[in-house]
Amino acid sequence: MPELDDRLTRCFASVFPALRPDQIQAASVETVPAWDSLAAVTLIAILEQEFDTPIDLMEMPELTSYSAVREYLQRQIK
Amino acid sequence: MNLIEALEFSRKPVAQDAKLLRVFLACGFTPLHLQSFLSAHLRQQFPDNRIEIKTGLFGDLAGSLERLDATGYDGTAVALEWPDFDSRLGIRELGGWQVSDVHEVISSVDRQLARLQRALKTAARSAPVVVSLPTLPLPPLFYTPPNINSAEKTKLLLSLAKFAADLSEEPGIRIVDSQALDSVSPPAGRFDIKSEILSGFPYKLPHASALAQSLASLLQVRSPKKGLITDLDDTLWSGILGEVGVDGVNWSLEHHSHIHGLYQQFLSSLASAGVLVGVASKNDAALVQQAFDRKDLFLRKENVFPFEVHWHRKSDSVQRILKSWNIGPEAVVFIDDSPMEAAEVKAAFPSMECLVFKKDDYQSVWDLLANLRASFGKTAISKEDSIRLESLRSAAPLLDALGQDGNASDEFLKRADAFVSFDFTKRPKDGRAFELVNKTNQFNLNGKRFSESEWTKFLADPASFLVTVTYQDKYGPLGKIAVLLGKVHEKKLHISAWVMSCRAFSRRIEHHSLKWLFDKFDADEAVFDFQSTERNGPTQDFFLELVGDPPQPGLKISRAWFQEKTPPLFHRVEEM
Repeated sequence: MPELDDRLTRCFASVFPALRPDQIQAASVETVPAWDSLAAVTLIAILEQEFDTPIDLMEMPELTSYSAVREYLQRQIK
Repeated sequence: MNLIEALEFSRKPVAQDAKLLRVFLACGFTPLHLQSFLSAHLRQQFPDNRIEIKTGLFGDLAGSLERLDATGYDGTAVALEWPDFDSRLGIRELGGWQVSDVHEVISSVDRQLARLQRALKTAARSAPVVVSLPTLPLPPLFYTPPNINSAEKTKLLLSLAKFAADLSEEPGIRIVDSQALDSVSPPAGRFDIKSEILSGFPYKLPHASALAQSLASLLQVRSPKKGLITDLDDTLWSGILGEVGVDGVNWSLEHHSHIHGLYQQFLSSLASAGVLVGVASKNDAALVQQAFDRKDLFLRKENVFPFEVHWHRKSDSVQRILKSWNIGPEAVVFIDDSPMEAAEVKAAFPSMECLVFKKDDYQSVWDLLANLRASFGKTAISKEDSIRLESLRSAAPLLDALGQDGNASDEFLKRADAFVSFDFTKRPKDGRAFELVNKTNQFNLNGKRFSESEWTKFLADPASFLVTVTYQDKYGPLGKIAVLLGKVHEKKLHISAWVMSCRAFSRRIEHHSLKWLFDKFDADEAVFDFQSTERNGPTQDFFLELVGDPPQPGLKISRAWFQEKTPPLFHRVEEM
């Protein structure tokens, strides 16, 4: 789903502007120091607007990497 | 603007040397997305600036404001919500919604409002403060059903209204109009209870964006437009004067032409606030004079200057009106019921806003009035607003007396019985001086504009001086018409800003201002922070005449040279 990756990459780039494009798909809480609780809340808010789907903040602890977010969104917008 | 756009917009590159705009965002909740949106909207409002936003402590809005040193900021944006007045008016702290608590809440809100008021007024002494009153609903703590207004809730709203009324009168404080905010952010779609409980941010994103935009727009100093030129037939009144006669034109409910009466009333309101109103009409001049003698016309003849009534092109009329007013087309709105006339004027003056009065489309006229208020609205009415029209009218003899070179004769100026006063008092909140510096284009040393915080800081410097010049002659008062700003160092004047209203040209006030400065400070030389701009031709002409060469940046004029070259000055002078 290249379109999903494009949109998701833009979301990540807006929250983590220091990441290079090639780093985004490997991004995770462990590899991105800027990924703190405020960044996580901002990312969720952006994803909700971009994909027009509510994301339960209770899911936040699971959404700790680009790939986890991608899988979650795939399930939600199927 | 959605959140991703806000973040991307905020990070757009700015020039290395871009001026820093520092704003303090005060809110009791987690600033989170409001901060992101505010940053983006400030970038939109101030595209040439680098934006820096600092925030206060979560849950302690009053404390954050009390600790704030506003001198380090260009502005403070305050987003108030009910829990800032008493935490029991929020939902994050529990245990306070007993019936017996409500009276105590009301008293506590009054105390907190007084505390906030003091802190806001203190902050506003250094830099502008913009405030939004609570935008979210009160929680269901009152014992009455939500569709019944309780006395307690009304008391809370009354306290808030008094707080807002008091702050609105304070120079330097501007409050977001809640009805304007309602129109772009419907109240029912603002509160995000899940986000408030889980992350301490109470707004849905569209509301956060709308609120940030409102706050950002209030932080910008915007010069209102100065003049409005209106057509008459089927615009100021219904009917063609030449066909139906003076008694045939109408603006009443019974003739279904009430919308024209509303327009007249609005123009009269603008005129009373110092807006210049002129008429450009293809009509019979004698008939128009008779029509303006009608007692039931809501726009009085005395409020209009000039009347351009003939059969020539509208753009010719507009040209003459601009000359009488001595202002540029970008500061003027032209209104006509004919799209063709509006287009003809627009073609001649592309920077002029030319609008069509659609008399049969009531909603369009209503929107037109709202847009005009947005263009001409000002935060305060000055003494100069009340005398502007009269001083222009009274300038007609002077304009007639001007020679080919644009100068009045010595004899005319001698007989003008002119009186100039110089006021050296530094009043940071003198709105007229600040307004003159920020809106004057033609006689302007360098076109430099000041933010409110820059203005306050400059005046706080003990080495700085501010001179405000007031003028009147036998034709009437012009009010405060010139401002000089600078510093003195070792008998040398450094003049960093010098503006003079175009209404005051050709009276040698600029010569006398400079003479007075040399004398006052016993200075040997004046150094001017001169820059040529597209619009400051009159300033360039003044220096060219004085020095003999086109002025350059860093221009210097010695006192001896000035005394030799300056023409005779006939004003009586007073220092206030």
